[in-house]
Amino acid sequence: MDFYLNALGSVLSAAPLLAMVGATLLGVFIGALPGLNPVMAIALLLPLTYSMDPLVALGMVAGIYNGSMYGGAIPAILLRIPGTPASIATTFDGFPMADKGEAAKALKIACWSSAVGGIASALALMTMGPLLARVTLFFGPAEYFWIAIFGMASVGVMVGSDPVKGVMAAVLGLLIGTIGIDNLSGQARFTFDQTWLLGGLDLIVVLVGLYALPPVLQLAEKCDLKGLSADQLKLTNVPFAPGEKRGLIPTWLRSSGIGIGVGILPGAGGNIAAFLSYNAARNASDDPDSFGRGNPQGVAAAECGNNADNAASMIPALSLGIPGNVVAALVLSALTIHGLQPGPQLFHQNPVLVGGFMMEMLITSILIFALGGAVATRVFAQFQRLPGVLLVPSILILMCVGVYVINGRPVDLWVMLAAGIAGYFLEKVNVPLAPIILGMILGPMAEQSVRRALLISRGDATELLTRPISALLAVMTILVIVWPVAKAMRRRKRQRQS
Amino acid sequence: MTFRTTFIGLTMAAAIASPALAEYPERTIELTIPAGAGGGTDTSARKLAILLEEMLGTSIAILNVGGGGGSVGASQFMQAKPDGYSLFATWNSPLTTVPQVQNVAYSLDSFTPIASTSETAYTLCVKADFPATTGEEFLAELEANPGKYTYGNDGIGGTMQLAAERIFQARGIDAVAIPFGGAGETLQNFLGGHVDIYGGSISTVLPYVENGEAKCPLVTSAADVPALPGAAGLESLGLGDKETLLWRAILGPKGLDPEIVTMLADTIEKAVNEPSYVEFLKTKGEVPNVVKGDALGERLQSEYDGLAEVSKALGL
Amino acid sequence: MEKRQDIALGLIFVLVGLAAAWMASRYSGASGTYPMTLGLILTFLGGTVAARAVRAGQDKARQLVAAPSKFITTAVIAAVYVAAVIPFGFYTASLMLMLVLPVALGFRQWIYAVIVAVIFIAVVYLVFSVLLEKPLPREAIPPLLGLGG
Repeated sequence: MDFYLNALGSVLSAAPLLAMVGATLLGVFIGALPGLNPVMAIALLLPLTYSMDPLVALGMVAGIYNGSMYGGAIPAILLRIPGTPASIATTFDGFPMADKGEAAKALKIACWSSAVGGIASALALMTMGPLLARVTLFFGPAEYFWIAIFGMASVGVMVGSDPVKGVMAAVLGLLIGTIGIDNLSGQARFTFDQTWLLGGLDLIVVLVGLYALPPVLQLAEKCDLKGLSADQLKLTNVPFAPGEKRGLIPTWLRSSGIGIGVGILPGAGGNIAAFLSYNAARNASDDPDSFGRGNPQGVAAAECGNNADNAASMIPALSLGIPGNVVAALVLSALTIHGLQPGPQLFHQNPVLVGGFMMEMLITSILIFALGGAVATRVFAQFQRLPGVLLVPSILILMCVGVYVINGRPVDLWVMLAAGIAGYFLEKVNVPLAPIILGMILGPMAEQSVRRALLISRGDATELLTRPISALLAVMTILVIVWPVAKAMRRRKRQRQS
Repeated sequence: MTFRTTFIGLTMAAAIASPALAEYPERTIELTIPAGAGGGTDTSARKLAILLEEMLGTSIAILNVGGGGGSVGASQFMQAKPDGYSLFATWNSPLTTVPQVQNVAYSLDSFTPIASTSETAYTLCVKADFPATTGEEFLAELEANPGKYTYGNDGIGGTMQLAAERIFQARGIDAVAIPFGGAGETLQNFLGGHVDIYGGSISTVLPYVENGEAKCPLVTSAADVPALPGAAGLESLGLGDKETLLWRAILGPKGLDPEIVTMLADTIEKAVNEPSYVEFLKTKGEVPNVVKGDALGERLQSEYDGLAEVSKALGL
Repeated sequence: MEKRQDIALGLIFVLVGLAAAWMASRYSGASGTYPMTLGLILTFLGGTVAARAVRAGQDKARQLVAAPSKFITTAVIAAVYVAAVIPFGFYTASLMLMLVLPVALGFRQWIYAVIVAVIFIAVVYLVFSVLLEKPLPREAIPPLLGLGG
């Protein structure tokens, strides 16, 4: 406890506080602009840590990281354009809510859920970090394989009305995920002798095209020349109805748990956490059919899940020296620059700095309560006052600049355009887009893990099932698939009886 | 540009006073790193860039182009204009190892070597309860149990696997290589007992050697490494010629003006030897190592040839 | 409408799946098995979609594009913009897009469009070139006018 009290003292001074507030705001913006991602901004901040007070720099990292995870929800709700891959699941119910005129409510729920998830995650980091870190070590290639399969099972909730087309989209995503150099054998797959394809198609490039271009094209087709008036926006602060918050608590608890659980596993990440949380919320619901049609629980689950991943992803980085994602890797390198050696002794080397950073992860999560809503309604929603025909080129430019700066190569812009046109038509013929992205995220993880596991077991496939955690994950996967079916059958039976 | 340089060549012998150099650099330099943000090469390059910005009096914009073990970034950079405003900060793998296992569009001739910056060795480590502690015992244990042990490495195109196989080949050792996405992932699987041997950078595993969880019988450099007192250098095992190092360098596109190369190489040398940079390298288990211009080109070529031999023997 | 669309969709996926499986069959060892399996599954699913559409009795109307002229205008201008980014420079091309696209879609309030364009481009410039220092395609026109570089 003294550990955190000491750290708190140094965090709660003017400079770190100011840095956190500024960075959280900046993070919300970064998350909200499709294509711009927190990694870019944090990588840029990193060199500043050489000359800056490290707690100020790390406060900015924490703010950008937490802020951006929430920021992704804003365009996801208002325009059905996910700002980050982790906010795809937010579009499922967020946009239908906005469509029903409940945009302000959806934004508020997203804001609260992000903050709750972030706080839960930061508390887990502060209290159970080293313990949870050791748990991650039990996860070898065989277990990672099952996590990927478990994630894939959640595709069930996003296939929409036509399961065959949904699965088809997922397989297409898996196939796209194999493009590039195979890390295990050096074989170039589906690269058509193009060097830029050796690294595979960038997830963000495809995401921006697939998700942002179709809404932009539809906006152009609508050809709105006037824009919404202030009255039509109706973005005044809507208070929670009595009991509404209490209704969200089970979802928040469940999603926080899932987000933390996925977050501590290096390489798994917030994208999966949001999908898994959404799936779990739908399975737990009495009325699963209301999901995808503007159920606030869906927004809460997705947003809480992706923010709960954040601080938790720092656990293996800070306790073991194993960065689980790029942001964690950047934080680690910032710490090494200050002479700290990531690893089991990190906590003892500089308790003020490490504890301080954890406090900052907590404080910036709390800041989302205060800042998130205001940014969403005062700034972003105002864009909708612009005539649609002016919004179209603006979003196009943001998409292009975001995509271009990822790798600095023009061909990515064409990939984005092609993905967008394909996405536009696929959606029109009832092929859901989310499974494509899910396949791209999970495919490489599943394939590489299973091949590594088989290398380790010298080709013996039974080892995928005989290890205790693998077996447990396999059973859970089956349950996730069977559960909704069993539930639906039971409900039908009950309806028939009554 | 050509007119100006010819003109200078005619009028002035002293390169220092030439207008081309006096003007350079007058705008932002773009530094391509063929790896994602947050990795070893990225951190080293970003830290160095800050020092260079100060010394050159211009800003340096960093572009991370990851993928393909560095070949994507290298291929993309190859097309940059040789005007001195596009530079490439890489480690040795994309230039000398990756071309052995992938079909790449570039060769060593596609770049102008400027200067190397730092170097470090790879290490092979085992858990504390492994039945061997010294380098000699370790190799003997592997030799006695062909196919029994698995070692994690940085994946295809990473130099780690070749570094290990060079040693194993010399001793007739058969160990199963398990490729991972990077040193962090290898460490995770090593600590969790999913692979028997850690193969990768020293700084990643160092904390676990210090707390007694792991021990490192050997390093892939000829000499011993001060940070790992228990590890044998290859020289002491009679394998001095099998040395494989990880080193970093800054290059330009093909056809970069020699005056700019000299000027940049000297600036880089100064920056690398700044006490703050040396101190920073120490935390990562690296030491400064500056080889400039043509000498760097020769170093690249000889490493390329050496690794070509190994990978041919391996049938990669 | 719906019937024909689904048959076409199914066949496209069959083709993609077959092409992928065929290409993957030439990849070495384990690296080919997985994409080949995926290709075959895709072929099967595409075939299912097409076959189902063939057998389906009724043919409901389903509109692919709501306003074809606006759709094509926007898609073409977007493509021209992407092509123009490199030769003209990012900001020049973006400014042109901000002015041309609304007009092409029927927007007639010129001054409004110009003001929004200038403010918007300025904000993008501040964020990406000043704050984030990201290298973007260089401008072709300002250097021609002698405005620095």
